[in-house]
Amino acid sequence: MEILRSIYEVAGFIVLIAFGVAALEGYFYYHFKCHDKPWFLPVALAAFPAAAVVAAAAVLGDYQFRLWFYFLAAEALIAAAFRYAIKGRHTVPYLLLAPAFVGLALLLVYPFVFEVYLSFHDLKLTTIMSWKNTGTLPFVGLRQYYDVFTTSPLSEVTFWALLLRTLVWTFTNVFFHVAGGFALALLLNNAIRFKGAYRTLLVVPWAMPQVVAVLAMRGEFHSQNGFVNIVISKLLEVFPFLASLGVAPVQWLSDYPLLTCTIINVWLGIPFMMVVILGGLQSISSSYYDAADIDGASYFQKLRFITMPLIKPVLMPAVTLGTVWTFNNINVIYLVTGQAGGTEQADILVSALYKAAFTYNRYSYSAAFALVVFALLFFISVTYLHGFDAAKEER
Amino acid sequence: MATVQFSGIVKKFGDNVVLNGVDVEIKDHEFVVIVGPSGCGKTTLLRMLAGLEEISGGEIRIDGLRVNELHPSKREIAMVFQDYALYPHMTVEENMSFALRLRKTPKAEIDARVDEAASILQLKSFLRRMPKQLSGGQRQRVAIGRAIVRKPKVFLFDEPLSNLDAKLREEMRVEIAKLYQRLNATILYVTHDQVEAMTLAGRIVIMNKGIVQQVGSPIEVYRKPANLFVAGFIGSPTMNFMHGTLRLEGEHLRFASGDIKLTIPPYLLHDPRKHDGREVTVGVRPDDVLVGRTAEGCSDKVDGVLEVCELLGHRENLYIKVGEQRLLATVEAFFDRSPGSAVTVCFNYKNMHVFDKATEARISE
Repeated sequence: MEILRSIYEVAGFIVLIAFGVAALEGYFYYHFKCHDKPWFLPVALAAFPAAAVVAAAAVLGDYQFRLWFYFLAAEALIAAAFRYAIKGRHTVPYLLLAPAFVGLALLLVYPFVFEVYLSFHDLKLTTIMSWKNTGTLPFVGLRQYYDVFTTSPLSEVTFWALLLRTLVWTFTNVFFHVAGGFALALLLNNAIRFKGAYRTLLVVPWAMPQVVAVLAMRGEFHSQNGFVNIVISKLLEVFPFLASLGVAPVQWLSDYPLLTCTIINVWLGIPFMMVVILGGLQSISSSYYDAADIDGASYFQKLRFITMPLIKPVLMPAVTLGTVWTFNNINVIYLVTGQAGGTEQADILVSALYKAAFTYNRYSYSAAFALVVFALLFFISVTYLHGFDAAKEER
Repeated sequence: MATVQFSGIVKKFGDNVVLNGVDVEIKDHEFVVIVGPSGCGKTTLLRMLAGLEEISGGEIRIDGLRVNELHPSKREIAMVFQDYALYPHMTVEENMSFALRLRKTPKAEIDARVDEAASILQLKSFLRRMPKQLSGGQRQRVAIGRAIVRKPKVFLFDEPLSNLDAKLREEMRVEIAKLYQRLNATILYVTHDQVEAMTLAGRIVIMNKGIVQQVGSPIEVYRKPANLFVAGFIGSPTMNFMHGTLRLEGEHLRFASGDIKLTIPPYLLHDPRKHDGREVTVGVRPDDVLVGRTAEGCSDKVDGVLEVCELLGHRENLYIKVGEQRLLATVEAFFDRSPGSAVTVCFNYKNMHVFDKATEARISE
């Protein structure tokens, strides 16, 4: 009987979604079909805000006067757009796009707008109850942004130290991703046996769920039972002189957390770059290499003068993506160093942001923090894309 | 400049024999065109000379020096590729000077050589451009310029005109002919286009299925094709072939193929008795098929039906059906007969070719 109830619930949910979509389509259909009727604006402004207020009251269980105002303003905008801008053109495409677009707006636009709203107010552990009861938050202007740059999101590390650490982390990771990916792609681009098998093996870290891969690697860095330290101690037994060079098993997770995270993330990121670069290498016509052979270029000269410039248009978007992903990579750091009470030595901006929001419950502060990180990444991406355009021009 | 010798060249890809014993000798200052249908191994032969393809057997010598194991850049050759292979990220000037820069040639000399090549090829105003800003013909000239700049012993052209449209191809053909007169270099030119071969070559090497079919001057291979393949490949429109048997009737050899019956004159086949009963293929070029008034004076006339006329301007192609056999005749323009009318056909015996049916080799003089 339990299972029957689950089925009822799922079916009910599906019906609900279907009704929602139907209502949405009917709403847009009216706007498309009646935009040029003289009674279009009055009817739209009277009917839809009223319906929306009723629906909101039914769902939320309470009624607020300002809802009228919001819905009226929204409807006025939408109706005006239909009457003066869209004018009933492309009805079918818009009707087909509408559900997806509204879904996206709910998932992306609403949280973003809410985040901006939060960043100018003060939501934290001490104000959250009053927000729940009254629905209002104290407006604080730019104070949260000021705090981002002056106070620590964690217990000791400052924003600037975190920013520096993040930049170093991003640069190191992307550098080794590209270098490792390039080397492996060059090897795989030769005519070797079992190429497919090598390629599959090399792509495994990328194909595996990141959580699984990171937790497995974290185990390997365990100070006593981890693969890394075991190999180091065995090596020391065989080559005792290594000890005089300073090689010894270390407490990876507690003494060198950032280094450990970097090694793990490099391992995780190489396959993506390898696949992208391999694709780029295979798209370079072999006649360039023939011509370079006849021109007398050595292996490294071919690499320098043919491969590098021709791989650039493929590499630039991959590096942009890789930079954003690495900059935003909370998985590796969070999973390796643990959450509350863990070390702060390995935190980068986004992991500190996560801890500020959900360990220290400073919601408005972290909203401002997130917007600052967003601005940084936006700037970095635009710079990269400019470089990418220039590279494309050249080709 | 230099001589090139191919002796007993064999190329295998796995079990697939692409070239089977190629022997060709190219003299100093000679323009040799290697021609053949696609897949005949001509480009492979060129790439082996360039050092881009390993040599499975035999020997290649440039100026008497065995180059089998020599790196491409040490062979002092320059190659123009079918797709030009211009480095897309370098300007025209950088493309042309790349080889010299790699060899650390002094800057002044590089500039002088690029300048010289650019003025030969009228590329001076394009030196700062990127390859993608050039038209097909200009790219072609840059590719040739890149070869000239290096002052190689041998120029290799790998189907250089096949990516151009028909009009541009004709222009570039003349350009290459002029360039050859100016450089007076040893040139090896690969093409599948027999018109390019006939117009450019000092000597033609005709290849099929990895074997050299005939080597000779354009007029030799046109007038005296060594076998059926060469006869069919060289000349446009294609030669007419008639399969039949030779019979000795009195002193003369008679050839019979369906409704077509001809006397083979003794200057074509010297010893008539020897050929009695032989299965042969007789080849006649469309120009040597005489129709209408020009056919009136002939002895062995054949009656046929005109099927299709194609007016080309100054010439006209006539497709004539004689019994089961179709013949193509090319005549002066305005052959005033409508399709379906009966025409009289005869052949110009002097330019007739007789091939053995089994060996496909030429047996007539």
